[in-house]
Amino acid sequence: MTADKIEERTTPLLEDLVSTGTLHGADEVEITFQAATEFSVDVRLGDIENLIEAGSTGVSIKVILDKRTAVATSSDLDRSTLEDLVIKAVQRAAQGSSDEYAGLPAGVPDPVDPETLELHDDEITRLDTETKISLARETEAIALRDPRITNSHGASFETRKIHSRLINSHGFSRSYTETYCSLGVGLQAGDTDDLVEGYWGSARRHFEDLETPESVAQKAVARTVRQLRPRKIKTQKVPVLFEPEMTGWLMGFLFSCVSGTAVYNRATFLLGKLGQKIADERVSVYDDGLLKRGLGSSPFDAEGVPCRKTSVIERGVLTNYLCNTYAARKLERSSTGNASGGGVAPSNFHLAAGSTAPADMIRSIEKGMILIRVLGHGLNPITGDLSRGAFGLWVEKGEILFPVSEITISGNLGAVLQEIVAVGNDLEFNRSVCGPSLLIGEMTVAGL
Amino acid sequence: MTTQDTAPLTFEDHFGLSPELITRTLDAALSRGGEFSEIYLEYKLFTFIRMEEGIIKETAESVSRGAGIRVISGGRTGYAYTNRLDAAQLKHGAMTAASISRGSGRSSARLSPSFPPHTYYPVQENPYAAPLPSKISLVESAYGSALEHDPCIRIVKASYADQIQHITIANSEGLMRSEVRPLVKLTCVVIAENKSGRREAGYFGGGGRVGMEYFSQSLTPQEIGRSAAREAVHLLDAAEAPAGEMPVVLAPGHSGVLIHEAVGHLLEADFNRKKTSIFWDKMGRRIGSPQVNIFDDPTIPFFRGSYNMDDEGTLPRKTPLILEGKVTGLLQDRLSAGIMQAELTGHGRRQDYTCIPIPRMSNSYIDAGDYSPEEILKSVQRGFYAHLFQGGQVEDSGKFTFSVSSGFLIENGRLAAPVKQATLIGSNIDILNKISMVGSDLRFGLQTGTCGKEGQSAPVTDGCPTLKIERMTVGGQT
Repeated sequence: MTADKIEERTTPLLEDLVSTGTLHGADEVEITFQAATEFSVDVRLGDIENLIEAGSTGVSIKVILDKRTAVATSSDLDRSTLEDLVIKAVQRAAQGSSDEYAGLPAGVPDPVDPETLELHDDEITRLDTETKISLARETEAIALRDPRITNSHGASFETRKIHSRLINSHGFSRSYTETYCSLGVGLQAGDTDDLVEGYWGSARRHFEDLETPESVAQKAVARTVRQLRPRKIKTQKVPVLFEPEMTGWLMGFLFSCVSGTAVYNRATFLLGKLGQKIADERVSVYDDGLLKRGLGSSPFDAEGVPCRKTSVIERGVLTNYLCNTYAARKLERSSTGNASGGGVAPSNFHLAAGSTAPADMIRSIEKGMILIRVLGHGLNPITGDLSRGAFGLWVEKGEILFPVSEITISGNLGAVLQEIVAVGNDLEFNRSVCGPSLLIGEMTVAGL
Repeated sequence: MTTQDTAPLTFEDHFGLSPELITRTLDAALSRGGEFSEIYLEYKLFTFIRMEEGIIKETAESVSRGAGIRVISGGRTGYAYTNRLDAAQLKHGAMTAASISRGSGRSSARLSPSFPPHTYYPVQENPYAAPLPSKISLVESAYGSALEHDPCIRIVKASYADQIQHITIANSEGLMRSEVRPLVKLTCVVIAENKSGRREAGYFGGGGRVGMEYFSQSLTPQEIGRSAAREAVHLLDAAEAPAGEMPVVLAPGHSGVLIHEAVGHLLEADFNRKKTSIFWDKMGRRIGSPQVNIFDDPTIPFFRGSYNMDDEGTLPRKTPLILEGKVTGLLQDRLSAGIMQAELTGHGRRQDYTCIPIPRMSNSYIDAGDYSPEEILKSVQRGFYAHLFQGGQVEDSGKFTFSVSSGFLIENGRLAAPVKQATLIGSNIDILNKISMVGSDLRFGLQTGTCGKEGQSAPVTDGCPTLKIERMTVGGQT
């Protein structure tokens, strides 16, 4: 049974669950349903390693009673299991605490027509198994043709189709369908005792937008072999060029610092900084939930609030925190349509493209490093401190000289945002949290 | 509820499946050839309570039930899962998993149901079955103790989570084993703020495969709250960490993350079978200081990483990974052990029924050595003392990092100024050779850790005595 058929069949049950909750005394009830079909194949050294195919369903329940919240989830669609969960949730809510900010959003405007966002692609559903396997196989085979590649972690092709419906006791009942596909390969170069690792993957909503096996393989090879024969460097402060994937994690870190949840919990160094200049004026950051075909786009969020484009940093000035309904009430702001699974999540959260070509950025570096990969966690939203293991390319007089490894980069996000001296023109929405190349005036690179 | 009460549970109670239907499913999975088929049935119940801003913000409950069907054919794995456990869905899953195989079918062996002979978690009061108010009072107690600890404490978040996981595994070799795993966790996150507006966070928690008695007998919620608060207050006075190469002393307990990252992952059999791990050609060879002995032991009673059987039904055993600096063993699952013709060690784990089992760590640790912690500290003129950790990461080349959230400078053999936030980076064999002193004070880190591999999370613990590393790169800012 296809996901949308299951959804169609389940809708009356979901409506009944809302009534069950109300009947047992809940003031508000919200039911979310998802049906997903997934496929993934891993090919390694030419042969299939894993092939996974599955369909799954899930129901999330939220009830509010006297401003007390209880939630429940189930993978089981059995009516009595679900009714029991709703009734128990109402009982549990009674044992919780009253919270004046709790509750579903009221009077939400209509969301955009999901079709205008082009979130699903029927071609993905029509791909046959052999085609999917051969995409992975071909990608790896092209990569392995390069004599410098000594081993493979395998290539993977994945597809997913998800059908979601949200129903609540305020009469909201809407659904949408989304698809996703990705192709990637992980490689090794060098001998066992001198290994370097590299990966490239492409992810899109529509199959026609996905990078070809050639493109994925070539990027993975280039990203691997450029790290061969690395050197260690002395500890120093130098300009650091973030490649787009590195700007991606920096944006992920920034998101955790502008999330409304972090703000009301005083868990971000950007607390109380709205309206202040927190970054170089070249920096503008947006969260765009309505980006056509965007990996993070959807017509409405987990509470039914329409998604939208929100400016987070405008020419260096912090303009907004991203909120779900709860965080918005706490901060006396409005929801930005970022509710997700009880918390706040980014949609397409990105640093807007600038005008500098990455090659020009490299040429402008007298002595510094291109940051190409990081390892480890070391991010603290409360202070903005960041410290991560790093791999880079050393640059002197505008030329890439050699790769460096076993180093760390460290700094503070607040300082890093202020010290951005160039923003690249190479923004691509390969992930939902992303950005172009960035040149940072100075960061600490620790080595010998 | 004791484990004796839960042991008689079978697939029929929770999954509504007859042995005949299971056999039919295993047969269908082998109908296109393949040498092994398996069905993994899981029924999991979960409770969660979150307290913030002085109130219980949310309680949650979750039910998850499903089956994963696997076929192994040569080195290929076919996998399908479903959360609808009826004959038609199981047959469809079995045929989907079978699609990786090309050959003639055969039937599976007759099932002989059994339970694992040992229980490593003989709990008295099962957390899942405990009444909600008693769980809420644990959370309130941790919350209150953190808040009262110091006037600088501005924000406290306390949360409680428990789950009970019922598993039945049946395979084409006739194995059929069931077990029930409890798991509980009480954690506290605290933010302290001083007069100048500086904010720092502290974290602490406890739990494991334990009963509610743990919170009165082993680690009280008050201790959890106070420890988190102490850490946050301590960091308010911490300076920036140093940057560069220097001697590093690792505190006992939490530093086990070093062993987990630097050694454990790269001795998981899959990375060695595929020759992507730097260790694949080093079995039996010395790769570290002779003082280094490293084990992974899924049988430590009540530990978060323990299990009575792994997620393929194999009985686990304590596995030596490094003995006197030499590589001696790998963590095996069925697929890798079959291809490598090695013995099973009981380390095939999976996050849930939607996932293929892979070799994983459980409770890994570096064993105690001869030096007292004082001797170790005294031997360092100037260096870095790593005290608490946020986690780490490793890649197959042996490059690894771990993030220190709180540490100290060492000056003239003593702990000096507290410092915050630094990443340590190294190459594993290089660092293992630079371990110059192993302490006698083996301890384990918090019973709250989760390890991620290939998108699957698994509860783990790690342990370590005080260790001295002659030189390592510390990535602070000054």
